[in-house]
Amino acid sequence: MTDRQTQKRQTAIEAVSLTKRYDKEVLAVEGLDLTIEQGTIYAFLGPNGAGKTTTISMLTTILRPTDGRAMVAGFDIEKEPDQVRKRIGVTFQELVLDDALSGRQVLEYHGRLYALQLSKRRQRISELLDMVGLADAADRRTKTYSGGMKRRLELARGLMTDPEVLFLDEPTLGLDPQNRAAVWEHIRELREAGTLTLLLTTHYMDEAESLADRVGIIDRGKLVAEGSPQNLVRGMGADVVRVRGEGDLEGFCRQLASFEWVETASTEADCVLIGVDQGSRRLAAIVESAIAAALSIAEVNVSTPNLGDAFLKVTGREFREE
Amino acid sequence: MNALLTIWGKQLRKMVVHPEEIVGLLIQPVLWVLLFGFGMRGLMDATSSGNGQGNYLTFMVPGIVALAALGGAIGGGNEWLTERLRGFVKEYLVAPIPRFSILAGNTLTILTKTLIQALVILGLGFLIGAQGGGSPIGWLVTLVLIGGYAAGFAGIALATASSTDSPGGYHMLIFILNMPLLFASNALYPLATLPTWMRIIALMNPTTHLVSGMRGVLFENGAAFAAESTLPLWTSLLAVFAFAGFGLILAACAFSRSIRKV
Repeated sequence: MTDRQTQKRQTAIEAVSLTKRYDKEVLAVEGLDLTIEQGTIYAFLGPNGAGKTTTISMLTTILRPTDGRAMVAGFDIEKEPDQVRKRIGVTFQELVLDDALSGRQVLEYHGRLYALQLSKRRQRISELLDMVGLADAADRRTKTYSGGMKRRLELARGLMTDPEVLFLDEPTLGLDPQNRAAVWEHIRELREAGTLTLLLTTHYMDEAESLADRVGIIDRGKLVAEGSPQNLVRGMGADVVRVRGEGDLEGFCRQLASFEWVETASTEADCVLIGVDQGSRRLAAIVESAIAAALSIAEVNVSTPNLGDAFLKVTGREFREE
Repeated sequence: MNALLTIWGKQLRKMVVHPEEIVGLLIQPVLWVLLFGFGMRGLMDATSSGNGQGNYLTFMVPGIVALAALGGAIGGGNEWLTERLRGFVKEYLVAPIPRFSILAGNTLTILTKTLIQALVILGLGFLIGAQGGGSPIGWLVTLVLIGGYAAGFAGIALATASSTDSPGGYHMLIFILNMPLLFASNALYPLATLPTWMRIIALMNPTTHLVSGMRGVLFENGAAFAAESTLPLWTSLLAVFAFAGFGLILAACAFSRSIRKV
């Protein structure tokens, strides 16, 4: 038992000041610090173009960082990239599955590339095909697979070599809700099963909230907030009322602070975010105050605070999902 | 080594499952042999010394073999370009394999395709009446010559495919090369009858050396067509090897630049 506990405390991924600059001008990733414990699921959440894929590319030794350093599975990504490569699995945002091969052939080929012995390959292939529910379709060409099936095969491919760390770049991109749920379930099972560490990137809030032990919010190349999903929205109240409108938002904000059931009130962009104890109860009073403060209200809504609100709070911008 | 064989093997299997690509690349050379060969034969034979010496088909086939080899290189480079643009390369890059084996595997694939193309055309040529046939050593030398020629163009094709980001750019570059390679050589007409400036260009064209070498060892010197004299064999071999080296080094440089960019 203590052994497992000690193992868990080992760091699977560690980055210090990781930076990637293109053409001396474009800073794709800037000064990223990261510590991810073994056996946990970590999610990079951010809008498209925030630098998530670039970060993953560096950690998986595809890209060399301009500055900073990182260790993955105990090895330096620049000094010993091959040792890193032996211990990681990667699935990519663009499905890099060969159309002409069958699912089984894709896994077989991957195993051979990583020099897995024949018997081990066969064993892994049948285990993984069962796990992702593709045993029946295994011998059909991947060209005939649906989007969901391709993502599941991709997941199996990343796990073929029994890696210590699995990187998933947008694992449910483009999938319908049912398929997303299935992939999430597989990911959760993986975490339960052992000491696998998972680092995923996503621009879906619900994915980060639902899967991750810890979330890192990335915006414009920087890690702007980090913590468990619960911690990131803590202090925002049990419910969040958002009022979008024009007028003296700051003044309105100050006014609200006088109500004792308001936990937090802040303005971001053209919104006022109000953390309250129970949104539905307090809504009327809030709208009344807004009108009294001569605000021209465009929109009001109530929800439990989510990572999108945390994003808005930290970056001052709306988090847009595609 | 394992990685190289795996990559090569995978691409070979795709070739076997989808032979359309190879067949498609063969169409142009086959048409050259059949149409141009037969078409010109009448004219050429009539204007030659007219005593049974002179078989234009025999004369022309080595040049078409070169064209076929070029076609194989184009196809292979295209395959690499597609893999790059669709992000397949990333799978190779995150694998614990030597970077070199990625390039080597692709080069071997191209060499294979090119050799197959060349041998098909050679076979066709003999089938429809080219006169020749050489000793086993002669055939070996032929394979070596074709191999070197193919390696050189494989290198150029891979270098181009590693450097462009659009299929259009790649094909344009290759098509530009196509015509001069055939016409600025001794493939279709003897060196002796060319104007000096053209002869100089032809001597710098690896095609000339491949064709000359093949004529010498396989085709009884093109049946001494129009007093064509082949270049010394060692010159041809040297030229072809130098070309192969050039092409492969070019590919290695372009390749390492492209993966660092990624």
